[in-house]
Amino acid sequence: MQKQSAGYLFVLPALMVLGMLIAYPIAYTGLLSVTDNAGNFVGLNNFRRILAARATPTAFWNTLWWVFGSIIFQVVLGVLTAVLLNQNFRGRALVRSVTLVPWVVPGIVAATTWAWMLHTEFGIINYMLTAPGVIDRPVGWLTNGNTVMPVMIAINIWKMFPFVAIMVLAGLQSISNDLYEAARIDGASFWEEVWYVMLPQVRSVIVAVTLLLVIWALNHITIIYAITRGGPANRTLITPIQIFRTAFESVQFGQAAALSVMFFAVAIVIVFVYIKTLASNPEESR
Amino acid sequence: MKTLTMKMAIAATASFLAMSAGAWAGEVVWWTPNFNEARARQLVEKFQAANPEVKVKLEITTTDGLPQRILTALQSGAAPDVIDVQHGWVNGYAQNDLVLPLDDVLTQREDYIPAALEYNTWDGKLWGIPYRIETHAIIINRGDFKAAGLDPDNPPTTWDAFTEAAKKLTTNGKSGFAITGGGEVGNTIFRSLPFMWMLGGGIISDDGKQVLVNSPESIKAVTFYTDFFKNGLSPSSTLENDGTANRRLFIAGTVSMYQSGQFDIQSIRQENPNIDIGVIPVPHPEGGKTAAILGGWSFVVPSAAKNPDEAKKLIAFLAEAENQAALTDTFPARISAMDAERFNDPILKVFKEMLPFGRPVPAHPNWVQISQAYFDGIQRILLGDENVKDAMDGAAAEIEGLL
Amino acid sequence: MSSKPQTLKRPGLPAWLVILGSVLLVLVCLFPFWWMVLSSVKTLRELYTVPPIWWPDTPTWENYRKVLFESNIPRYFLNSIIISVGSTALALVLAIFASYGFARFNFRGKPLLQSLVLVGQLLPTAAIIVPLFITLRVLGLVNTYWGLILVYMIITLPLSVWMLTSYFKNIPVELDEAAIIDGASRLGCLFRITLPLSLPGLASVMVYAFVTTWNEFIFALCFATDSSVKTLPIGLAEFSTEFNTDWGAVMAASVVMTLPIAILFLSMQRLFVGGLTAGATKG
Repeated sequence: MQKQSAGYLFVLPALMVLGMLIAYPIAYTGLLSVTDNAGNFVGLNNFRRILAARATPTAFWNTLWWVFGSIIFQVVLGVLTAVLLNQNFRGRALVRSVTLVPWVVPGIVAATTWAWMLHTEFGIINYMLTAPGVIDRPVGWLTNGNTVMPVMIAINIWKMFPFVAIMVLAGLQSISNDLYEAARIDGASFWEEVWYVMLPQVRSVIVAVTLLLVIWALNHITIIYAITRGGPANRTLITPIQIFRTAFESVQFGQAAALSVMFFAVAIVIVFVYIKTLASNPEESR
Repeated sequence: MKTLTMKMAIAATASFLAMSAGAWAGEVVWWTPNFNEARARQLVEKFQAANPEVKVKLEITTTDGLPQRILTALQSGAAPDVIDVQHGWVNGYAQNDLVLPLDDVLTQREDYIPAALEYNTWDGKLWGIPYRIETHAIIINRGDFKAAGLDPDNPPTTWDAFTEAAKKLTTNGKSGFAITGGGEVGNTIFRSLPFMWMLGGGIISDDGKQVLVNSPESIKAVTFYTDFFKNGLSPSSTLENDGTANRRLFIAGTVSMYQSGQFDIQSIRQENPNIDIGVIPVPHPEGGKTAAILGGWSFVVPSAAKNPDEAKKLIAFLAEAENQAALTDTFPARISAMDAERFNDPILKVFKEMLPFGRPVPAHPNWVQISQAYFDGIQRILLGDENVKDAMDGAAAEIEGLL
Repeated sequence: MSSKPQTLKRPGLPAWLVILGSVLLVLVCLFPFWWMVLSSVKTLRELYTVPPIWWPDTPTWENYRKVLFESNIPRYFLNSIIISVGSTALALVLAIFASYGFARFNFRGKPLLQSLVLVGQLLPTAAIIVPLFITLRVLGLVNTYWGLILVYMIITLPLSVWMLTSYFKNIPVELDEAAIIDGASRLGCLFRITLPLSLPGLASVMVYAFVTTWNEFIFALCFATDSSVKTLPIGLAEFSTEFNTDWGAVMAASVVMTLPIAILFLSMQRLFVGGLTAGATKG
């Protein structure tokens, strides 16, 4: 890598576009967070009010559950799937295309289809479990306080693991044959090959993809909103949904902005920590 | 060459401007939901024939995400000239200065159902013109009634008799009476709040100053409502069911009674013509009277509208009795319009009878959050997390902070 | 490293594992979609039954007929294509340059700038809608193709840059250095060496940007109110009237909406296969 200011030239167009079009929303949100609905300056009032709301801490903890629960399985399943799809077998192209389906199906349709399949009485899932006697009573997947969040996380995993799979697959496809040869010479078994050759090579891809998943999970609205709207009794309420509802249902843009500011700050910290620990050493990876 | 470039520049600017949102002088942009589309188009033709200098541009909205989309438009200043909104949204817009007062558009105030006008009134002014009203009643499966030994033509009218009937109907895998516990908050407000009103309770007082949700009367009503689930008379999926889900259960034959509006009748007839549909009034407590929330739609004119005067002309036209009767899917907001032929279907009889008992929800700037706090409480009860008193006390504490 | 007279066979997954894995994968991914397709050929009556029906007695093409011939879906399909292709192309171009800069150069403030790229993504959707709408209004771009293309480009750009940077990093920098010694410019390196070798990465970024734009709902809902620019997800929502969601039509429209992307990905298979760096700097 050279130290060259030519680097600036390459990144400038993208940064300018982003800068212009993101700076304004940030400024606008900041302004909204300290004004009331009529536009008067109210200091930290909005912050105080939204922090005092009963739903806020609940949403915060739910968000953490949601993010960690989703990501772990999205990454693990995604990587395993990529390894599988990297193999040479008949019909591989077809399986690869099919794998993409969950991610490609529109979020709202996926959500409503799953909600329908999981319905306590009309749902095909309960039917498939009770008919052969696997369970004797239908499970209230979406009505039981203990199962509803895990079910939402499962749907999110189903929706996103294909994305991880194709991203990692692209990385796997770029691995030079030389590396595999070296491993063969050393007599490596398949799983050793995975561990010592494949994974290190796609490390930067996995790190990047995981960061994306974190960001998406932190900003997620569609699936949960479409199925439970954050209920029942706020069991599945996560902060981005709370922000959305505060703004567009309660028409409290000021409070929503205040919550956005706080959430944004927390998210930046998380991302910063992540980058520092995992994506550090840009020098070292070359 | 120069003139050619000039012309091109003018053409480019013109098309650029034409591409941008909004109307030019004399054009009224009207947002109406998809279920109104066909009838709206006919009315637009009629209007334009009578008012050739005004052009109406119809844009069809969907109910999915509609409040968000309207809010975005109003808040950002790029709004149409006339919007169809639900009564309950008008207050929020009025209090945030997002719509214009419409007192000068309203003629023949006495012809309107008072409750409908109350919805749109705030701070002494009228902010929306109602064109459609409806209330809930109870839709029953007459066949199930007869099978259980009940007489569908002599339905139970009191709470106790109603509960008894529901118990009798809960056999053979059927649920006697389905309540809602999920979906949008409005579903459960529409169905449970009237019961509270019948006893003199409520969520907040009509003047918006007092919390009523944990008063003894309210608690009694909430207990009545949630007990249907507690005692197994409402399906086990109640927490995920809204009005539409209950209708589907009714169509599938697993529910014998449920609360809803007249709009369900058409769907039921279409999807399961074998059901003998009956409609009965919502039961009242012993010695009390029934009650209902008045639902429906109104027209508003955004403050940011480009052609407010022409917009008001269009609304005045649509507010004429005959046109209201044509546009509405349920009932018109004007008494004189109710005489139209299409409202004489016998099955609509009970719905009509319930109309006078319809009341607006309290007008409070934080109503949405207040009703959400109440709904969370209901869900806590249905989940089994708290008993009725604790749940309502919790809701009351939250609502106190919002008043 | 000298070439061996006989290449060792690469260890792979045992065949039974491959088959089992593939079957499971296909089942899990496809079952809800298949359920959707089944629902799209059922009549309303057969959709909501207790217990659910596996196979319709009276399958009907009515829903597809409605979707393809009686609705605005074909027009929305066109709109979605234009907007998705436009924003993907724009985002890709900008991302290629920016990612090359981040992957190959070291300059002051680089880590900060890289992080800044992601910062916009962290802003909650609700906080971004109204100001973006105001911006579009000021630019006169509400209800236009360009307005939506711009918005979606903004949404997909940050993560495209982030992803592409890591793909570029995977390509040995020695290749660039060798080319520069041979007299190539930086730009030449980018086009002649880095890009051809990163086709799988480019393809995956393209798929990401396209799919994200294709499926996006809330921005399209607020920024495109005229049917000349409405997109498919909005069209889907239009089958929900106040009285009934025409589930058959929604499912049929969803199938119509999903197929192009599956086909897109299938046709890009070529790009995903191979992509080996032929040990050009070795030996």
